[in-house]
Amino acid sequence: MTDVRIPAEIIDEGEGVISVWLFRDGETVAAGDVLAEVMNEKAVAELVAPASGQLTILVSAEVPVKKDQLVARIT
Amino acid sequence: MNVSASTSRVADAKHTESTAQGVDAVPRRRLTIAKAISEALTQEMDRDPRVLVMGEDIGRLGGVFGTTQGLLARFGPERVRDTPISETAFIGAAVGLAAAGMRPVVELMFVDFFGVCMDAIYNLAAKQSYFSGGRVACPMVLMTSVGGGYGDAGQHSQCLYASFAHLPGLKVVIPSNSHDAKGLMIAAIRDPNPVVFMYHKALQGMGWLGTVQRSIVPVSDSDYVVPIGKATTVREGRDVTVVSWGLGVHQAVECADILMKEGIDVEVLDLRTLAPLDRDAILQSVQKTGRIVVVDDDYRSCGLAAEIIASVCESGRVALRAPPCRVTFPDIPVPFAPQMERPLLPSAVKLAEAVRAQFVSQP
Amino acid sequence: MRPERERRLWMYSMMVKSRAYEQAIKPAYLEGKQPVFNMANGPIPGEMHLSDGQEPCAVGVCAHLGPRDTVTATHRPHHIAIAKGVDLRAMTAEIFGRRSGLAGGRGGHMHLFDPRVSFCCSGIIAQGMGPAVGAALAAKLAGDARVAVSFIGEGAANQGAFHEALNLAAVWSVPVVFVIEDNAYGISVSKRESTAVERNAVRAHSYNMPGVFVPGNDPDAIYEAAGDAIARARRGEGPTLIEIETCRLEGHFMGDAEQYRPQGEVQRLKASDPISRYRQQLISDGIAAAELDALEQSAARDVSDAFAFARSAELPTVEEAFHHVFATGAV
Repeated sequence: MTDVRIPAEIIDEGEGVISVWLFRDGETVAAGDVLAEVMNEKAVAELVAPASGQLTILVSAEVPVKKDQLVARIT
Repeated sequence: MNVSASTSRVADAKHTESTAQGVDAVPRRRLTIAKAISEALTQEMDRDPRVLVMGEDIGRLGGVFGTTQGLLARFGPERVRDTPISETAFIGAAVGLAAAGMRPVVELMFVDFFGVCMDAIYNLAAKQSYFSGGRVACPMVLMTSVGGGYGDAGQHSQCLYASFAHLPGLKVVIPSNSHDAKGLMIAAIRDPNPVVFMYHKALQGMGWLGTVQRSIVPVSDSDYVVPIGKATTVREGRDVTVVSWGLGVHQAVECADILMKEGIDVEVLDLRTLAPLDRDAILQSVQKTGRIVVVDDDYRSCGLAAEIIASVCESGRVALRAPPCRVTFPDIPVPFAPQMERPLLPSAVKLAEAVRAQFVSQP
Repeated sequence: MRPERERRLWMYSMMVKSRAYEQAIKPAYLEGKQPVFNMANGPIPGEMHLSDGQEPCAVGVCAHLGPRDTVTATHRPHHIAIAKGVDLRAMTAEIFGRRSGLAGGRGGHMHLFDPRVSFCCSGIIAQGMGPAVGAALAAKLAGDARVAVSFIGEGAANQGAFHEALNLAAVWSVPVVFVIEDNAYGISVSKRESTAVERNAVRAHSYNMPGVFVPGNDPDAIYEAAGDAIARARRGEGPTLIEIETCRLEGHFMGDAEQYRPQGEVQRLKASDPISRYRQQLISDGIAAAELDALEQSAARDVSDAFAFARSAELPTVEEAFHHVFATGAV
């Protein structure tokens, strides 16, 4: 099981928001897939899957998130 | 959230189309429509130095609706131009650039703004080929956002499909998903005619507008074309044809899911192109099912739904088993308050009611 | 800089050809429209906007242009089309609605396109300005010395498109020259009644470009001002606005009774016809009257050839109306 967290490169200080999940809860993903688009104060960044497996989404789109926050799991 | 079977049918259909063009097998990555449009523009600008992009906020910002992300950094300000708020001038300029052999892509930020620049669109761009006896083409793309449902009120929520599809000399397209968005944009850029490329705000995948998950599908990174003028069958069915485009496609698919459980098998058509209308595809489907419901989030009267139904009725090729039906927005300016706007917009639920009514015996 | 002799003779020949053309159009247009003026009738239906009196504007500017310099013009295009070198037979056939016309009869007098000489015109006021800016941008991006010229009337200076186009041309710093043919009337409304400023040339300052006023409807003076502006543009120094004082000797459109014009105005203007004045000027500068006569005769022959061609040209069929709505194939 692998945690998917917001990396510091995407959000360092303050909050951001996942603007859209590109995969759905329960879908199979591969390491390297772009899972979601995350907006910080300046731009939109890509959240990349660190592993392959089944995606469990823990935080919906349009909810504020912070650096290092756990937003999904891959099992 | 479960992956709906119909979603994978949409994705499979897209994959089949891509494969048919000799493209790589099942692409992995998914794009939003906004990203797909940006990618189409990037690839065409790489391939063809005549392509340039201009409009308000399309440079540094990457477009208010994300259609031009990454272009300024890659191609520079000569080919990616943030313009003043001067639609008549820069859309007129696009007509002149096209006459001179360039391939401009211009963004009209909201279709509602067409009032300040319509002459350049329908009297210049649309008639350049005609007035020159075919000697001077107008290979330009006018991309523009359409649609409401998010409280932007009467001057920022309109669709106006019929207003543009009505006018000779223009092609009008609208994708319902990112695969089609990329392919239609590439087709539009390569078409020697003026193409109005509409993108529905509810489908862009911009965080601040919400999105429809079904519009996010796998997109090949090759340069493929989705042909202009060809509808596609998103879901095959026996009992009734629902004709849709843009956001309406997703409402139709959701409606079909609801009705499957009630034993009604709905065929869903995604027009993809509004002008020229793929009347053959519509007729073929309605000949099979004998029933037609059209979902159209534009104003009701004199709308595209009316044109589709008229085309079916006058064809003499179909014996309808129930009166044709259209589910549309009413003939009123789009109201601001969500309590007013939302119930008036077409929805999967309303569409399901309309489809059920097709099966009530006629007196 | 005064034009050289050859240029002056060219200008004179184009002006007399224009005038002969308009004077040939007049009776042709009126055929079938008398005694009752029904615009729909006759071999040339629709509207007709003649350019008598405005010839100096066309020749003074076009003397500096080549076939790849774009010109966009208005509903009153004939003098400009002729000076630009538009195919006279095809243009006339188009005005007569024939298959061998520039657009096979689909455009008519207000919508003349000749890509061989980069000329087009359209009937919506000021709407040729945006495309001229675009053509100029195309030239700039291609890195060549082509320019674009947009001809408009003084009424167009009050349209939104005028202001947008001037601003955009200056922001992009493109090689376009905007030429106002000020004939003092927008149909029946005088410039004085409709325009907040006395000289439209001053409006150029709002858009950070030079504004030049040329009085007197004199081809040489227009040649000089246009030459400066076009040379500036070719050197990459950006757009210019030129305002030319000219005159409209006929009505706004044929059939216009012109009751709005003060008594005696048209007679006075005709007495000061720019072509007659230029002829006198050339003669007093040492050019033989016979040489000018020869140019007039040659012009008359070209015009009558073009009209004969048009009159005997085939009419299009109804089916042909459906062609060329869309371009096909690669561009």
